[in-house]
Amino acid sequence: MSIAPYTADQRDALQEVVNIAMGQGGSSLAVLLDTFVALSVPRIRIVESSAIAETVAQMVGDNTEITAVRQGFFSYLRGEAIVIYGQEGCHDLADLMGYDANPDAAIDQELLLDVSNLLVGACMTGIAKQLGADIGFSAPSILAERCPVYNLFKAAKLNWTHALLVEISFSLEEKGFTAHLVMLMPEESIMTMRDALDRFLESL
Amino acid sequence: MTIPVLVVDDSALSRKLVIKALPQEWDIEVTQAINGEEALTAYRAGKGHVMFLDLTMPEMDGFQVLETLKEEGANAFIIVISADIQPQAQERVKQLGAVAFIKKPLQGDEIRRILTQFGML
Repeated sequence: MSIAPYTADQRDALQEVVNIAMGQGGSSLAVLLDTFVALSVPRIRIVESSAIAETVAQMVGDNTEITAVRQGFFSYLRGEAIVIYGQEGCHDLADLMGYDANPDAAIDQELLLDVSNLLVGACMTGIAKQLGADIGFSAPSILAERCPVYNLFKAAKLNWTHALLVEISFSLEEKGFTAHLVMLMPEESIMTMRDALDRFLESL
Repeated sequence: MTIPVLVVDDSALSRKLVIKALPQEWDIEVTQAINGEEALTAYRAGKGHVMFLDLTMPEMDGFQVLETLKEEGANAFIIVISADIQPQAQERVKQLGAVAFIKKPLQGDEIRRILTQFGML
């Protein structure tokens, strides 16, 4: 099966919808950490499933050891949201939240799950709301710990032919912290999204 | 007198929505820019007495545009229109000389309200 790429208008609309949703996620994180959060320009790709690992590695930077949290979403759009943290970022986060210099691993994990849940919830809800859709979430879970970014998708076990990849990142200026939020949607959601974007464009 | 207005956003859709929301009776000439570099070039060519500026853009973002204009002592009337709604972003752009901050998605008559408030209409 082949999937037609989005038109320039559809891409532009998706980019702007994601941009607005990212702003809401970034604001939640800024309030939680009481600091300024720098936002990226969203990146959007439609790729064959064999290219997912490589594309995500390019987006995140492939030489880093990462820890990742996964959260499924479903209803109108279905897919996986994965929040990817560099190792340094995990420590920065604990630091910003006022935890001890040597927090135990359980607290670290809980913190990552909470922050991921906040970002995924704000961003995905923001996207769904603008498209007039409902969305539900599974509980966040640790997908990978301290592993190279390439190994992520061995762990994720996706049984798809194609994926729509949307990547945004949140970083803190004074710290090394960066969190990449990658949303992946399989073929039927690529189509659903296309229809939703057309309706969104017509409504403007 | 026709006022040169500059609309800066990397999204064509977003620029279109901003231009559509500008008051019809306002005597203006609109120029569009898709990133910070283009915005500065257009401003220096006298095309941006009033500027509607996005923050998150490739190449050069809105914060950098504001910083550069501030360094150059520019006196453009700048309204930031952004999805980056964190309180710190709003404070920062005001410190850098923007007169107002409008949240995306653009709502109804927000642009008109601000232009009226500052006596631009």
